[in-house]
Amino acid sequence: MEKLNRNLPPQFKTIEHVDIPKSKQDVLSNEIPIHIISGGSQEVLKIEMIFNAGLWYQKSPLIAGTCNSMLNEGTEKYSAAELAEKFDFYGAYIVYNNSQHDASVCLYTLNKYLDETLDLLEEIIKHPTFPEKEFKTILSNKKQNYLVNREKTNALAKEKFNSLIYGDKHPYANIFEANAFDKVQLEDIKTYYKDRYTADNCRIILSGKMDESVLSKIENRFGASAWNTKSSHTEAKHEFLCSDERKVFVLKKDAVQSSIRIGRPLFNKTHPDFAGIMLLNLILGGYFGSRLMQNIREDKGYTYGINSLLLSHLKSGHFAIVTEVGTDVCEAAISEIYKEIKRLREERVPEEELSLVKNFFSGEMLRNFDSPFALSESLRGNLPFGFDNSYYETFLQKIKETSSQKIMELANTYFKEEDLYEVVVGENKA
Amino acid sequence: MIEFDKFTLDNGLKVIVHKDATTPLAAVNILYNIGAKDENPEQTGFAHLFEHLMFGGSINIPNYDEPLQQVGGDNNAWTSNDVTNYYLTVPKENLETGFWLESDRMLSLAFTQKSLDVQKAVVIEEFKQHYFNQPYGDVWLNLRPLAYKEHPYQWSTIGKCIEHIENAQLQDVKDFFFHHYAPNNAVLVVTGNVETDEVRRLAEKWFGPIERRDIAARNLPSEPKQTEFRSLHLERDVPYDAIYMAFHMGSRNDQDFYKVDLLSDILSNGQSSRIFQRLIKEKNLFSTIDAYLTGDFEPGLFVISGKLTEGVSMEDAEKAIWEVLDEVSATKAEEYELQKVKNKVESSLVFSEISFLNKAMNIAQHEITGQAEDINLEVEKYNKVSTDDLQEMAQKILIKENCSTLYYHAKKQ
Repeated sequence: MEKLNRNLPPQFKTIEHVDIPKSKQDVLSNEIPIHIISGGSQEVLKIEMIFNAGLWYQKSPLIAGTCNSMLNEGTEKYSAAELAEKFDFYGAYIVYNNSQHDASVCLYTLNKYLDETLDLLEEIIKHPTFPEKEFKTILSNKKQNYLVNREKTNALAKEKFNSLIYGDKHPYANIFEANAFDKVQLEDIKTYYKDRYTADNCRIILSGKMDESVLSKIENRFGASAWNTKSSHTEAKHEFLCSDERKVFVLKKDAVQSSIRIGRPLFNKTHPDFAGIMLLNLILGGYFGSRLMQNIREDKGYTYGINSLLLSHLKSGHFAIVTEVGTDVCEAAISEIYKEIKRLREERVPEEELSLVKNFFSGEMLRNFDSPFALSESLRGNLPFGFDNSYYETFLQKIKETSSQKIMELANTYFKEEDLYEVVVGENKA
Repeated sequence: MIEFDKFTLDNGLKVIVHKDATTPLAAVNILYNIGAKDENPEQTGFAHLFEHLMFGGSINIPNYDEPLQQVGGDNNAWTSNDVTNYYLTVPKENLETGFWLESDRMLSLAFTQKSLDVQKAVVIEEFKQHYFNQPYGDVWLNLRPLAYKEHPYQWSTIGKCIEHIENAQLQDVKDFFFHHYAPNNAVLVVTGNVETDEVRRLAEKWFGPIERRDIAARNLPSEPKQTEFRSLHLERDVPYDAIYMAFHMGSRNDQDFYKVDLLSDILSNGQSSRIFQRLIKEKNLFSTIDAYLTGDFEPGLFVISGKLTEGVSMEDAEKAIWEVLDEVSATKAEEYELQKVKNKVESSLVFSEISFLNKAMNIAQHEITGQAEDINLEVEKYNKVSTDDLQEMAQKILIKENCSTLYYHAKKQ
């Protein structure tokens, strides 16, 4: 047997192409769009009903979220306890998502109980009753969770950062005080439901293992007739209001670590530079091998973790570096963060590093699209922008074509130090 | 039904292969039979610190992460009181890179002072982030020593205190490695779009040459039976009072485990469960409350943890929990209720088998505690549980003299 050379890595293949299974688009008889992703190894289904009913449209805080999470708190046929009993008996999960623009109800069910669980889904979508008692319990529990969360430095940093880049009043910041919980009126929740949870304000994503019968079962319950109709939906307008303040310190007494957020408002994934920025973000702080992680964690040991992220909202987006560091090293960590950003503006990324990041990203694409449920998650994020997962076919190509020259240009355009906002929450200013 | 092939290399490394052709990826999962319970009581947190050092370069490969990222791979690891688990995923074409990396760090680490110094600092920040900089973060640092007086489960994987991490020396690290990390003390599971013949060839090529090592015999002190109620009062700067109750029970491998697991499900799995309905919905005494099992390989804990609703007294809250527990001891559950939690268990198993990586971890756990084949008997074991069993378990476990209660008081403003 030839001697094993452990110093040399084995041959490997670069991923040239990522196969993204296409979703099929159909419409129910009442014109509700339905997107279908068929496949998977298990006999399970995910049915997500998405409404334009997010924070964007609420007149005061907490309306959209409370409305969304109260859908299963009682219907014309069943009490909250009965609904919970039935969902549990069929081993189904019901998950509520409430985001900036949309809100959804997502059913995970075994195929063998599809009839029963779809009946329940129909009940909670079409006939919720919003009982007073459940309303009070839910709000009181939400308020407690809110107040516990405010004891965390990272939650405070996130809130402050979002208010600086979007403005206190903007739904993308979604800021409110504890007393907002006492001001929510049940009538407002009911009105919000009537206005926004309607057939003409809805789309469905269906994913998992299925045959033809699944679609007809959905058609029977949600497509055959008009339901919760409303002739017009009131539109909402919100202006962005970036703060003049660039650096903010928030005191959190007795904190043993400081939370840091550094970043800026940015465009969303429809922008031509998005692929390039994605690559730039990866290099800076988007994976374990990133420069921030290698420098601030793996070389200095200042933190358990540091990441940077890009967030795409429908009408904007942002870039942020997020970390929690020991109080004593906070100042040093911040200075290293700026140093790494500066290095991206002033020096080209070496070709080996660039090729590594591109290869890693291809692998991430494979992981992100591995299973019908993962595809449906990604599709949900794309649909509001008007495209489906085929978006990523050209995206990968654009990533591969991005040069180190282009990355340096992007860093100079978008990562200027004077454009960045900085928030520190902790025991002292460092 | 999860199908797999299984073989053992001459050096004792157990290898299990499960093919899932629906994914373009492969997972390599290595579970080492070493956890926080194997630590010296004066050097706790070591197994977990060691997990960090496994990424600090191995004998022939200076950097673990880079070559993996280069081929589109990703990885992570976790440490529990029982085991340490390392996993990676790669595009199936690049499976061999995973074997190359994992076998080299099983062979030997680079053992650099720099890596030790940095990872000590990182773990100390992790300690602060998760245990001291979060409201209620230090609960387990206090509940464990209340419930365990002899057994090493009395400390958390992060360690008893920051000083233990600070004191770790390079020689300790080397000793630890050669006493616990070895082919004959690990299980390798490969899942995803892979063929058994290819995995066998790669396993023999890369892991085959690693020699067996003498593994320190495990001789853990057993926990004496608890005979009276224990309690501890803490006061902290948090917004609401909280209560934590821990009851001793059997191990994950015990046949009774399935009975106790369903008992905890009746109490707290899902919104229809007794605790959720009674204590949150009907009486409004808690804002959140859960019952769950630690699921440890040695006799573990049945835990109830809840945050009190503002204005509710600790006495009323505790009394209400005991009423629910006493009822499940005094009165047999309905067949319907038992069937409901069985359905839920079956469903959660079906959903957990979507992910090829999840399957790899589950197979490895079953192999290390018994045999991988048992993974396919889980549903059957749960289905055998009767309503009599639930009552018997409640009477045996959910009693005052078997309970350690931590009263976590919010400091008055």
